[in-house]
Amino acid sequence: MRKLQGPLESPSLVRRGEDTVTMLTVDRLLRKQLVICVGTGGVGKTTTAAALAVAAALQGRRSAVITVDPARRLKDALGLSDLSVEPHRIAIDPAAEPVLRHVRRRPPECGSPAEGGGLRRAGATHFEALALDTKRTFDALVERFAPSPAVAARILANRLYHELSNEIAGSAEYMAMEKLHELFHSRRYQIIVVDTPPSAHARDLLAAPNRLTNLLASRAVSVLQAPASLLSGATSSLGRLGLSTLLKALERWTGVELLHDLADFVGGFEEMVEGFHTRAEEVNRLLRAPSTAFVLVTSPEPRTIETTIGFQQELAAGGFPVGGIIANRMVAFPRLAHADQLLAEWDEPLRGKLRRNYAELRALAQRHRNALQRLHEQTRMPLLSAIPALTEAPTSLVGLRRFAELLAPSQGSTKLKAES
Amino acid sequence: MQTPRVVFVTGKGGVGKTTVSAALGQRAAELGVRTLIIETANDGSLAQLFEHRKLSAAPQRMHAGIDAVRVDARELVEQYFSRLLSSHTFSALAAAAPGITEFLLLEKILAWIDPALGSRRRGYGLVIVDGPATGHALKLLRTPRNLATMVPGGPLGKVARRLLTLLADRERTQVVLVSLPDEMAVRETIEAQRVLEDDLVLHVTRPVINRVFPRHFTAAEAHALTQALAHNGAPAASLAPVIEAARFAIACRREAERHVAALRRALGSSPILLRQLFATHLSIADLAPFGRTLGRVVLGAPSGGRDDTAPPPTARTVATL
Repeated sequence: MRKLQGPLESPSLVRRGEDTVTMLTVDRLLRKQLVICVGTGGVGKTTTAAALAVAAALQGRRSAVITVDPARRLKDALGLSDLSVEPHRIAIDPAAEPVLRHVRRRPPECGSPAEGGGLRRAGATHFEALALDTKRTFDALVERFAPSPAVAARILANRLYHELSNEIAGSAEYMAMEKLHELFHSRRYQIIVVDTPPSAHARDLLAAPNRLTNLLASRAVSVLQAPASLLSGATSSLGRLGLSTLLKALERWTGVELLHDLADFVGGFEEMVEGFHTRAEEVNRLLRAPSTAFVLVTSPEPRTIETTIGFQQELAAGGFPVGGIIANRMVAFPRLAHADQLLAEWDEPLRGKLRRNYAELRALAQRHRNALQRLHEQTRMPLLSAIPALTEAPTSLVGLRRFAELLAPSQGSTKLKAES
Repeated sequence: MQTPRVVFVTGKGGVGKTTVSAALGQRAAELGVRTLIIETANDGSLAQLFEHRKLSAAPQRMHAGIDAVRVDARELVEQYFSRLLSSHTFSALAAAAPGITEFLLLEKILAWIDPALGSRRRGYGLVIVDGPATGHALKLLRTPRNLATMVPGGPLGKVARRLLTLLADRERTQVVLVSLPDEMAVRETIEAQRVLEDDLVLHVTRPVINRVFPRHFTAAEAHALTQALAHNGAPAASLAPVIEAARFAIACRREAERHVAALRRALGSSPILLRQLFATHLSIADLAPFGRTLGRVVLGAPSGGRDDTAPPPTARTVATL
């Protein structure tokens, strides 16, 4: 098995920002048109997605990040109070610029996003961000595909629709893809980075477009208009009993004739099925395009790694282009050759404490390293970047810029100031 | 028949819900309480901790006195409806109906708890629900109340009322909120605690903060170490990592103390602190100290006498310098 390249070759490399890996691969990533960050909860996915958009902007690309997290953590990270559902322009303050003395220069390009190329200026001074609002995106979709304004109005007024547009299984995921489609075809950006809702499985994310269209394209309508036919389809009398109880309960639950509402709702949608279907197919194609890359965002803890391995397998099985791994919160300290000699200049009890502390962090570093090694071996994916454990998560634009700089250090960058 | 105590564990993604569930389960089993851990995430994390391959829908023995079972909401919905009819359509639709998923999940969980329901194997003294992340967990815990109001009669209403009774029984049911010493996790914990206590009137224990760095260095030592790096520029180059490691640990500890203080101020109770584990190979044995701490607060168990003075398990696997 080939050894993991990059920062793990020399653990001390990921210790400090200025030492991070050679970034050829991240550079290439930032020249994609679409980057989708996937991973389980709590791995820093939202921050990573935002930082990738910042990094792309710093390389002179027109970039946008879509976050779908209902907690609006991107908003927190950016310190904004009203990150809107429409792309929101965020200035990158050149005065606070820690790096970017010079970047490879090329004549600026105009027009549509260039495949593999891209604009290279001395770094853009802004990027755009939006937080996804599932319901409003759903509304827009209904308006677009409804055969008439009357049908659209009927659906939008349906009480059940209000619940469903937020609650339907996978609708957040679907709407992320929908918004992505919209932004992508607006051609306003050269790169769009997408944050995704945390889930234990990639399939929850990727099955969403199909799940929704399957539902809508199904015989749900006829079934709902004649619930009796549903009951006759049940395979056992017990089953029939259970189902009829449930249906009645459902009716009582909402205090109205739920089935009627439901039929009305789905009936309205039925007329739009084709539009939805086409859209879902376009999204599916977009997600599998060579100009798209999925990035596995992970923490270097063994149990998270196992989930990440599962993600990669599901994505690969689905034919999605996985580009590599970004590991956050990596702790790395080198093995010391002559520790006793080194520590001799300190007196007890400090000497003992230093020794113990180093031993602990060194063990943690080995755990992280082993975990990433396993991830690499299982997925054969390159480690694009390993972000050192910061003592503080970026909750400001400056923090985000520092994070971006760790992800993709620019050439000729000056050294980052040591954290204080 | 005795009804087991119930501990519902939740918190932001990645904070260590499974770690807390496993540690508590292990401690309960040690105290002679037969324990069932219900995994709702279906990510294999719990099984992995106990070095098992995978959990299934039937309880499996993880450890002496600990069983674990997997409850997958989507699977439940699909199973339930595809058993009734061969249409996947309806199952998709039903899954979308607000609250149905939550209801089926809770019903399944209740079947492991309430002796009057289901026909499952009994004898558990403690059921730990390794719950979903905060947002979904709040929705889940709100469902019985909504349901009991809306569907007063029938089998559904009966289940809802049983759930409500169980959740409201403060002697028996507790919610444990797990957090991390970082800003976003702490904020989420504060909000969740308020909803759980004030709105849902549940018994929420003191919050748990996981991965707190130990305090190795005194303030004077910390100062000296900072100076060493600031003024000497480079100490002996080869010593730099040692100093840097110390600074890293000091910064992490300070950060943790800041967030612990913030949580304490906001909620008026002292969080339960679980320390950062440093072992190269984490095993379930490494969680024993967590189990003792959690057992004391959640189970009201003694802290375990001489166990507390035992060397930390990290000693076994700590790397050499």
